Amino acid sequence: MNLAFVLVFAAVVALGIILRLAVSRSVPAKVDSSLATTIRPIDVEAFRNLINPAEDDYLRSRLPPTEFRSVRRARLRAIAAYVQVAGTNAAVLVRVGESALASGNPQFAESAQRLVNDALLLRRNATLALARIYIALAWPNCGVAAVRVVDRYERLSGSAMLLGRLQNPATPVRLSPR
Amino acid sequence: MFQPHSLLWHYLSVAPSVLLALLALVMWRRGMHKEFPAFFCYAIFEATGGGVLYAIDVSPSISAATYWRSYLCFLLLEGLIKFIAIGEVFTHLLRRYQSLGRFARVLISSVGIVLVFAATVIAAYANPTPFWLISATRILSRSVSVVQCGLILFVLIFAAHFHLSWGRAAFGITLGFAVLSSVYVGHWALLADWLLGQKSYLLDFAIMATYHVCVLIWFYYILGPQKSTTKSPAILPEDNLELWNRELERLLQP
Repeated sequence: MNLAFVLVFAAVVALGIILRLAVSRSVPAKVDSSLATTIRPIDVEAFRNLINPAEDDYLRSRLPPTEFRSVRRARLRAIAAYVQVAGTNAAVLVRVGESALASGNPQFAESAQRLVNDALLLRRNATLALARIYIALAWPNCGVAAVRVVDRYERLSGSAMLLGRLQNPATPVRLSPR
Repeated sequence: MFQPHSLLWHYLSVAPSVLLALLALVMWRRGMHKEFPAFFCYAIFEATGGGVLYAIDVSPSISAATYWRSYLCFLLLEGLIKFIAIGEVFTHLLRRYQSLGRFARVLISSVGIVLVFAATVIAAYANPTPFWLISATRILSRSVSVVQCGLILFVLIFAAHFHLSWGRAAFGITLGFAVLSSVYVGHWALLADWLLGQKSYLLDFAIMATYHVCVLIWFYYILGPQKSTTKSPAILPEDNLELWNRELERLLQP
C-alpha cells in the first residue's frame, strides 16, 4: 500500500511539473530586444586564476587542513557563481540564436546556427561543471575532481569568448572584458 | 452515470478511438505521417485496438478471460509503440541541435536504465492475487507506465533546461504522452494493489476521461495552425565594462 501511495504522489508531482512546463512554454518570452541585455559579462582572466590548480597546491601547502578545506569551499562557491553566470548567458544566447534563426534572414542563418550550437555546448559544459563542483564541495581534498573541473572551465571560457564574436564579427561582442 | 457500460462509459470507450482514426486520416492527407511515422502508427493502432477491445468487452459471447488475454496483448504492443513514439519526438527535438546529440543520447540511455531498474523493483514488490491474468496486466502496466512517465518527463526537462525550441506538433505529442503517462502511473499504482476493491471501475472513468483529453491535445497541436515564426532577431549588446565591473563586485562580495 505504501508503494502505491509513493507512486501516486510521484505521479501528482510529475503531472505538476508537466503542466508547469507546458504553461511556461505557452507564455510569451521576454521581448527579444531586451533579451540580449540580460547577458552578464564574465572576467575570464579572474575565472582562470580562480581555477588554477597551482593556487590550490600553494594554499594546501601553506594552510592547516581544516583551514584549507574552508578556503577551498569558499573558492569552489565562487567558481560555481561564475559557472552559473556562464550557463545563464548560454541559455540567453540559445534564445538569441533561435530568434535570429526564426527571423528567416539567410544572412544570419549560418552564424545563428553556430551560435546556438556553441551556446548549447557551453550550457552542457556548465551543467557538468556545476555537478563536479558540488561533488568537490563535499570532498574538498579530492584532487582528481578539481583537475577535471579545471579542464571543463578552460573549455567553457573559450566557448564563451567565441560566442561573443559570432553574431557580429565587425563589432566584437564579448562576454569578458579582455 | 459512473457505472460500467453506462452511456458515459460507452462514449469514453468509443470517442477517443474514432477521434484518433480521424487524426490519422488528416495526418495522412497532410503528409505528416512521414514526419511522425511512429505516432501515426500509434494513432492507427489505438483506433483499431481500442475498437476491437470495446467490441470484445460488450460482446456477451466472449469470456472475461479472453478479454483480459486480449487486453494484455494490446498493452504489450501499445507499450512498445509508445516507446518508439517517445524516441521519435526526442529525435525530432534534437534534429536541429546536433551539438547535443551524443550527450542527449547518453543521458536518456542512462535515465532509461535507471527507470527499468526502478520498474523491476516496483514489480517485485507487487501484491498478486489468484486472478493471475488481471494481476499480471496491472503489474506490467504499472511498471511500463513508470518507465514511460520518467522518460517523457526527462525529455521535457531536458528541453526546458537547454531552452530548445519544439515544433508545435512534436510538443503536442510529447505533452499528450506526458499527461497520459503520469496519470497512468497513479491509476495503475492504485489498481495493481487493489486499493479500491470492487470500486476500481471509478478509476477507469478517470483514465478514460484523461485519455480523451490527451487525444484532444493531440488534435489541437497537430491540426491547429502553425504560428508565424518570422520576427526581428535580437541584437547582442556591445561590451559593457561598467556592467561587468558591477557583476564582478557582486561575485567578489563574501
